Amino acid sequence: MHNLILKAKELLENKIVSVIIGFETGSSGKVRPVFITDSNKADSLIFDERCIQNLAVYLTKKEVKQFGKMGIVATLPIMRSIMVLISEQQLSPENVVVLGISGDGEVLDFADITVMQHYIEKCELGNPAKEQDMLATLNRLNMQEKFEFWQKEFSKCIKCYACRQSCPMCYCTRCAVECNQPQWIPVQSNNLGNMEWHILRAMHLAGRCISCGECGRACPVGIPCHLLTMHLVDQAQSYFGVYAGISDKMSSVLSTYAPNDKESFII
Amino acid sequence: MARIGVFICHCGENISATVDCGRVAETIGKLKHVAYSTEYKYMCSDPGQTLIKDAIKEYKLTGIVVSACSPRMHEPTFRKAAAEAGLNPYLCEMANLREHCSWVHEKNDMTTEKAIDIVRILVEKVKINNALLPIKVPVTKTALVIGGGIAGIQSALDIANTGHKVILVERSPSIGGHMSQLSETFPTLDCSQCILTPRMVEVAQHPNITLYTYSEVESLDGFIGNFTVKIRKKARSIDEKDCTGCGLCTTKCPQKKIPNEFEEGMGFRPAIYTPFPQAVPNKPVIDREHCTYYIKGKCKVCEIVCPTKAIRFDQPDQILEIQIGAIVIATGFDIKRTDFFPEYGFGKYKDVIDGLQFERLASASGPTGGAILRPSDGVVPKNIVFVACAGSRDPAKGIAYCSKICCMYTAKHAMLYKHKVHEGKAHVFYMDIRSAGKNYDEFVRRAIEEDYVNYIRGRVSTIYECDGKLIVKGVDTLLGAQPLEIVADMVVLATAGVANSGAEELAQKLHVSYDSHKFFAEAHPKLKPVETNTAGIFLAGACQNPKDIPDSVSQASGAAVKVAALFSQNELTREPLVAFVNRCSPPLYSTCVGCFLCQSVCPYQAIEREEFKNRDGKTIKTVAKINEGLCQGCGTCVALCRSKSIDLHGYTNNQMYTEVMALLNVY
Amino acid sequence: MSEFEPKVVAFVCNWCTYAGADLTGTSRIKYASNVKIIRFPCTGRIDFMLLLKSFANGADGIIVSGCHPNDCHYTSGNFHAKRRWIMFKELMDFMGIDMNRITFSWVSAAEGARWAEVVNSTVTRVRELGPYVSYKQMVNTSIEEEVTHA
Ligand SMILES: Cc1cc2nc3c(=O)[nH]c(=O)nc-3n(C[C@H](O)[C@H](O)[C@H](O)COP(=O)(O)OP(=O)(O)OC[C@H]3O[C@@H](n4cnc5c(N)ncnc54)[C@H](O)[C@@H]3O)c2cc1C
Ligand code: SF4
Ligand code: SF4
Ligand code: SF4
Ligand code: SF4
Ligand code: SF4
Repeated sequence: MHNLILKAKELLENKIVSVIIGFETGSSGKVRPVFITDSNKADSLIFDERCIQNLAVYLTKKEVKQFGKMGIVATLPIMRSIMVLISEQQLSPENVVVLGISGDGEVLDFADITVMQHYIEKCELGNPAKEQDMLATLNRLNMQEKFEFWQKEFSKCIKCYACRQSCPMCYCTRCAVECNQPQWIPVQSNNLGNMEWHILRAMHLAGRCISCGECGRACPVGIPCHLLTMHLVDQAQSYFGVYAGISDKMSSVLSTYAPNDKESFII
Repeated sequence: MARIGVFICHCGENISATVDCGRVAETIGKLKHVAYSTEYKYMCSDPGQTLIKDAIKEYKLTGIVVSACSPRMHEPTFRKAAAEAGLNPYLCEMANLREHCSWVHEKNDMTTEKAIDIVRILVEKVKINNALLPIKVPVTKTALVIGGGIAGIQSALDIANTGHKVILVERSPSIGGHMSQLSETFPTLDCSQCILTPRMVEVAQHPNITLYTYSEVESLDGFIGNFTVKIRKKARSIDEKDCTGCGLCTTKCPQKKIPNEFEEGMGFRPAIYTPFPQAVPNKPVIDREHCTYYIKGKCKVCEIVCPTKAIRFDQPDQILEIQIGAIVIATGFDIKRTDFFPEYGFGKYKDVIDGLQFERLASASGPTGGAILRPSDGVVPKNIVFVACAGSRDPAKGIAYCSKICCMYTAKHAMLYKHKVHEGKAHVFYMDIRSAGKNYDEFVRRAIEEDYVNYIRGRVSTIYECDGKLIVKGVDTLLGAQPLEIVADMVVLATAGVANSGAEELAQKLHVSYDSHKFFAEAHPKLKPVETNTAGIFLAGACQNPKDIPDSVSQASGAAVKVAALFSQNELTREPLVAFVNRCSPPLYSTCVGCFLCQSVCPYQAIEREEFKNRDGKTIKTVAKINEGLCQGCGTCVALCRSKSIDLHGYTNNQMYTEVMALLNVY
Repeated sequence: MSEFEPKVVAFVCNWCTYAGADLTGTSRIKYASNVKIIRFPCTGRIDFMLLLKSFANGADGIIVSGCHPNDCHYTSGNFHAKRRWIMFKELMDFMGIDMNRITFSWVSAAEGARWAEVVNSTVTRVRELGPYVSYKQMVNTSIEEEVTHA
């Protein structure tokens, strides 16, 4: 933590960055994101196992970008989100300094994006173990049971779009749900519309989700919507052998193809 | 408010025999916004079309649905009729009642109901169709031909003779390509140089052709009718205006032992050289890699001897930027060299040579003055073996295709040998003789019957040297796969024709596709063999796959016609069924977020970037923009775009959605 | 009606399957009339949302069909479509949506007889599956909710 604060101060004092995006302890004792522009305030920065939010979502927000060059405290999912954002031209590598945090909480020094890329390549990239277990359990259900499981979950959805708001990859200026020519997703929250919304979101994150789980955590009614995108993380890996967010070059699963892609259901 | 007209065609009895057309017309006539609904025996006939045109005017129709045969058949007909009546042609849709209904179903109620459904979805669609205007793109009437082999020469001349300007770019110091290396040509055995040289001279003198030799394409931007090409004109190290081509420098250059590429390594050339006597342009070039001056910093003998002081040691490469409207790729092919064949000694036996080397030996202007002498000791070979399909049709070697020209030139080689060495014996190992073509099979038969060339059907397994002789081991499959051994003085391998070096890089620069063997890919294997997938770029000659001279020349003329057709108009008219990225007022400009994932799915590189700047010139937003000249309207980008920012004219999101809704709900 | 007649929507590309279906017609090969075709320029244009909208509006089965790999009129639209369908199918399976109701196929402009087979086999299969009850129930409750809200 000490190292992290020192590093942050150094970046701010030397005007290398104008803002540091990190974590602090809020008044209620809960961890919350913080945006530090004054090096004297950098002492409030913390990092511990409660710091799991995917802060990369702020990198594309106008309010944060206006400060100028951004420093960000980044765990692996955040680093991978940064890679996706760069490859999709939402973030320029010149505009961000990554204060990497390793799996054991060490501060990592990344001279540039390539160094970070080498670090990511060495990491375990699949879904977290807990989610992987849940996926396995769900995959064992039969069709009807799966359908009922998700119907029950979706029936709770209030279409608040917190899942979308919390995901760094949902950076669209106008989300497809706001498109009314035609109205792809009904405005009201009902079972059909809720399900269509979740299919749309999952398809939009196919091959782009980096398994942070933020969308599921953000949901106020506890819908495990991250399992949908994480299921596709598994599928993208098994069909195409790729994980998202491992390079700053374009490689999204659905925007490329290989002539020999294998499938067994097209007749 | 929409006023839709619906015209149900009986197609004689083709539709009306199974579909109750009267009921369809009546039911559809009751739909909201349908102002007119009728039936007729033949809508495509003159009276049928007149009926439609009159109705458009009389009922002030804002859209029509002609319910007849497949739109793949008559859509243009009816759109034209609509236009003649003053209705935008894209406000006309066709419902396919024949191929997709009456011809495939029995006569019953369900079939008629289906017909009603089919018409209904198009009625709903046409209500939201937009009037579209054809896209016009200006055409720069200058063509670029890349590669100055016989194919490039022919294309350049044909285009130039239609009165248009041509830029011909050749990377070696002279045009001519492989044909200039050939001795005599099948199936007539006329001398290659004799028929080629006049064409080369014509290129040099043609007022419409600008020739850049020793030059390569550096980059290409733009689209059909409007390309900008950058050409790197490599430093020749002489001033072409001052040089008279006297060649004195080439005789005085002290560097004399550089392997001669034109002679396929069987002779030498100096550092300042013209590749061959008939070269066009007949101006030397300094090979800086081998020139003593560039290596050691002194020499300049050529500069001293040059009577017109044309040598320029400090000449830089030049980059030229030229506007062009169409491109013909004619960069030709190459052949596998003998070192590709471990079984035949990896190229280490001097007397195992390839076809082009044999051409040079047989050529009157070649290193031996046309005498067939073996490279190792200059002796006339008494026993010579030709191996066809060396590498070709051999999936194990990664070349599954037939190189097409080898059967013919092998027969030619055997003949040329017999004509020069009457007492010699010529053997040909072959897999099949592929001699389809005018006077081709007769040519091969002549080799066998008149020149007594010994044709053996079978493959050669190994060649090895023993006591100064080459032992050729093979089998004769016509004699029950009997092993066979020939003691030869010389072996000629008809090695596989392959893509030319640099083909892949060039394809990437030009954004055209190529196949797994790096040959340029045609747009359609049967119907568009001259086009590439990029509009305005065409193919000629052996850069597409190995071909002989007649095929190369025919394709070159074909490509020239395509270019001439393009240049026959001042502007290009294209169907407006292209994609578009939405635009709205600042500060949003577009709902596009500029992820550019669409860019990587577009098969035609039609998606560009558009930057919006503020008053200080700072970019505030970058969004996607469709180049209407390039987009072919596949719509792959539309389905990909998450934020629904791209749409496709004629197949908009709204239209497709409406069709689905109309099909399933009764409106 | 004695037997259940499924509603089947077919999303096809203009250059291969649409033309193939034209050939079925010119060859006068008969097939089930339950299917209705919607023409797209390319399989690459087919939005997965349209498949969902079909089920939501009462389709019992869907056919999605285009040019065989390497035959795409636009060279690669069908390859992109294929990847999209792989992901879509896996997601649907995971959510318990019945993929037996969707046929994905490649039918070329020369395969008129094959188009008839694809349609007939799909219609037969969907007829056996019966109406898509669980989906329809979901749709119905959603519509009811809307009505009560209003
Ligand atoms: C041994 C042998 C014998 C043959 N005998 C006969 C015969 O008897 N009769 C017959 O009909 N055919 C014969 N052929 C076939 C004949 O050679 C070809 O049909 C013909 O050369 C094809 O012409 P082309 O212009 O397409 O290609 P090429 O002759 O290969 O010419 C291509 C030209 O493009 C230039 N080039 C390449 N890349 C670039 C680049 N990136 N930028 C600029 N310029 C470039 C090259 O330098 C070259 O000048 C024979 C072939 C071989 C190998
Ligand atoms: S759900 Fe899709 S359209 Fe909406 S913000 Fe996310 S990626 Fe963009
Ligand atoms: S887990 Fe959820 S929030 Fe995280 S990347 Fe995937 S979709 Fe986005
Ligand atoms: S899943 Fe949860 S977070 Fe997402 S819209 Fe529904 S209620 Fe909101
Ligand atoms: S049009 Fe769509 S896919 Fe293309 S850059 Fe814009 S948002 Fe991305
Ligand atoms: S419609 Fe097809 S060709 Fe046109 S821009 Fe989109 S992907 Fe490219």
